[in-house]
Amino acid sequence: MISQETLIYAVMGLLGIISLVAVYMAITEKDLVKAVLYSAIQSTAYAFLFYLLMAPDIVLVYVPVAVGLYPAVILFLIKKSERFEGEST
Amino acid sequence: MKGWMRAVSLLSIIAVTVALALGTASGGLGYVLPFPGVRDLAYWFLFTALNPSTPLFTVMSPEAVTSIVWDYRGLDTLFETTVFFLAIIGSMALMRGIEVVKKVEERTYQIGMSPIVKTVTRISVAAILAVAASIALHGHLTPGGGFQGGAAAAVAPLLLIVVFSVYFAVGSHINKKNMLTIRTIGLLGVGLTAFAVLIIGVIHGVGAYVFQNQPKATAPIGLPADLFGSLTSGTLILFNFFEFLAVAAGFTIVFLLLSVPERRVMEILEGGEKDEH
Repeated sequence: MISQETLIYAVMGLLGIISLVAVYMAITEKDLVKAVLYSAIQSTAYAFLFYLLMAPDIVLVYVPVAVGLYPAVILFLIKKSERFEGEST
Repeated sequence: MKGWMRAVSLLSIIAVTVALALGTASGGLGYVLPFPGVRDLAYWFLFTALNPSTPLFTVMSPEAVTSIVWDYRGLDTLFETTVFFLAIIGSMALMRGIEVVKKVEERTYQIGMSPIVKTVTRISVAAILAVAASIALHGHLTPGGGFQGGAAAAVAPLLLIVVFSVYFAVGSHINKKNMLTIRTIGLLGVGLTAFAVLIIGVIHGVGAYVFQNQPKATAPIGLPADLFGSLTSGTLILFNFFEFLAVAAGFTIVFLLLSVPERRVMEILEGGEKDEH
């Protein structure tokens, strides 16, 4: 029988791996809009991690900033510059 | 990069990370684990945060994090707030004179996304503002606080700008001037709250400190810990409220500046001097 604590640590490990994959995809992606979405997936995994690490104050500031405001700022900047990496205007 | 190469490098990164994690977890660097219990410092905060039997040390707030952020180390938080507002002042200085002009025609309501998205946004904006106000005003009771609530509230004008267009937002009084006023009120409030107990102390002729909340040994005054029987924790609720205003308005200013169409920015930059004559 797996104890509850081990289960929580396993979920945290899984979330860590999900965020790792999302970060890798965000870095190698050439379409910057998709990269922002991958970055938002990483932020979601981190938000759950902070919650499991018993830091609800950090979760409350992390969710609006990292899932809402930060992708919005980056999307505004992509709209003002160029969508694909390495593209020349 | 080819698809299979990305897959191979991703798998190898995961393998290395998992191997490192397993290695350290099974004692690869020796067993120097952190102390599992509550440490002395944490015990002190937990013991004094809401403890009327130690009146000289308590903050009268059940939320130890907010107590630390706005009372035990309030000066740190003041300077953190200052850094945030210097960043916003910097972006405003870069974009000085660039603003979207309000469109008065009815057409303003026709641009933006589809009616379905607009209806959903109308409902969710009200819900977001309610949740944000709850996070900020209950910051001294439950997890949350001014910055958290302000960041959550800033999502609402952002949604309005994206879904209804920036012209609608400017038309419904979410413009740079109003946001600047709210932000200034918030900052003034934070500053005044920091000096509130000192001012009261000077008036009554008693010693008091900057950033004082509850009475201390040589300064026997403080703001009331409860109002009509509900806990307000002295300065904490004021700090949270004013920080909420300042952060929400500050983020909104940044989004208003970013959402100015690029064509309009170029127009102003090129024709700025001609307009003045």
